[in-house]
Amino acid sequence: MSQPCRAVIIFCKVNGIDYEEIKVHISKGQHLTPEFAEINPMKQLPAIADGRFKLFESHAILIYLACAFPGVADHWYPADVFKRSKIHSVLDWHHSNLRRGAAPYVFNTTIAPILGRPLNPQVAAEAEIILSSSLSKLESFWLKGNGRFLLGGNQPSIADLSLVCELMQLEVLDEKDRTRLLGPHKKVQQWIENTRNATSPHFDEVHRVIMLAKERQQHQRLKAAKNEGGSNMKRPLVSRM
Amino acid sequence: MKLKVYADRLSQPVRAVIIFCEVNGIDYEEIKVDLANREHLTPEFAEINPMQQLPAIVHGSFKLFESHAILIYLASSFPGVADHWYPADVYKRRKIHSVLDWHHSNLRRGPITIVQNSILAPVFRRPLNPEAVAEGEKILSAALSKTESFWLDDNRPFLLGQNQPSIADLILVCDIMQVKLVGETDWNRLLGPYKKVQQWIENTRNATNPHFDELHKVLKELKEKLQN
Repeated sequence: MSQPCRAVIIFCKVNGIDYEEIKVHISKGQHLTPEFAEINPMKQLPAIADGRFKLFESHAILIYLACAFPGVADHWYPADVFKRSKIHSVLDWHHSNLRRGAAPYVFNTTIAPILGRPLNPQVAAEAEIILSSSLSKLESFWLKGNGRFLLGGNQPSIADLSLVCELMQLEVLDEKDRTRLLGPHKKVQQWIENTRNATSPHFDEVHRVIMLAKERQQHQRLKAAKNEGGSNMKRPLVSRM
Repeated sequence: MKLKVYADRLSQPVRAVIIFCEVNGIDYEEIKVDLANREHLTPEFAEINPMQQLPAIVHGSFKLFESHAILIYLASSFPGVADHWYPADVYKRRKIHSVLDWHHSNLRRGPITIVQNSILAPVFRRPLNPEAVAEGEKILSAALSKTESFWLDDNRPFLLGQNQPSIADLILVCDIMQVKLVGETDWNRLLGPYKKVQQWIENTRNATNPHFDELHKVLKELKEKLQN
């Protein structure tokens, strides 16, 4: 369910990197155990271990994998210092903008109860402002020009994977909210599709967990609406995925 | 083609970039963008950085923003920058990326939240907000605690068990220094429990002086101005 975990796993699969996935159930608090703290003292996912060496923070992990494993195509993390700098720039921007908006918005409107926490509408409202602004900046600046990917690229980089996986978290939202947020941004929608196609079939496979969560959420919303006597409510639109 | 650095020394990441240039003898032109006068919000500056933040650089026709990206670019592109700033070795480098990423969501948020809701609030035309300051102090303390217990090795002067500074030391220390604006009493209260952190700040200052002190003069000057 973790956006940056999905980015790392898709990257490994697309590039034929041999890895072992070790499940750490956030919903069961397994990331908070002393055993996991040995792997990552910050108690967050993803984390990797390769022999004695451990690493956390998904951008650092993606950069390491792109540099350390032979056969990873240059477009993922170009050797050219100018192109590489631009990728660093968007990955840094992502921390304080898209992620800072999307993650708390989705958490505080939808996901929190799954982890036994309360929804927080005020945090959600503040996060929505950051998310909307970030989507606008993606549409008008990072996706400027005729390229299919960020920064005018015609092939995906680790930045595309990281940011698109973040946006896929919006799939669990009420469809009207998702449409309201993403609807105005045609280039963003196309770019999500481009990234999905470029990393097929792994993208869909890794996102199955999100689509299952989406179905469960939709089912619960319908049930809640019926219980409130909302039997006239329309069925929400199903995403293309 | 001379490097242009768009700067206001009040900004922590701006100071990190300028100290780096000075220490490494990188020839640059500093172009002042006055944050208090909202010059970063002008259409002219949006041409340089559409996110309207500092620092930003222009090198010939190449424009770049986000301080971590800028420091990596400078370390990679200018001859004569010693390897310890951004090591070529992929194992050492990945750890620097890890702490720089952690910094965004952890340490950076602390000092900014504290100063922008207290002493700098009038400068940025915001109301004082003691609750936000308290929240910022919690974030800072948690991050300093992790720095003390994890990022700083017992026996080495810099982050990640290194004997010489990297771009990560410069960025994190410049961010913590912003807390000097709230005064020595609060600085001592907030930093007091963390002996390794205090020593590390001093190590970074010594490794980059006289430029470190020169760039941080702006904090003392601003504090005096705001108090008068």
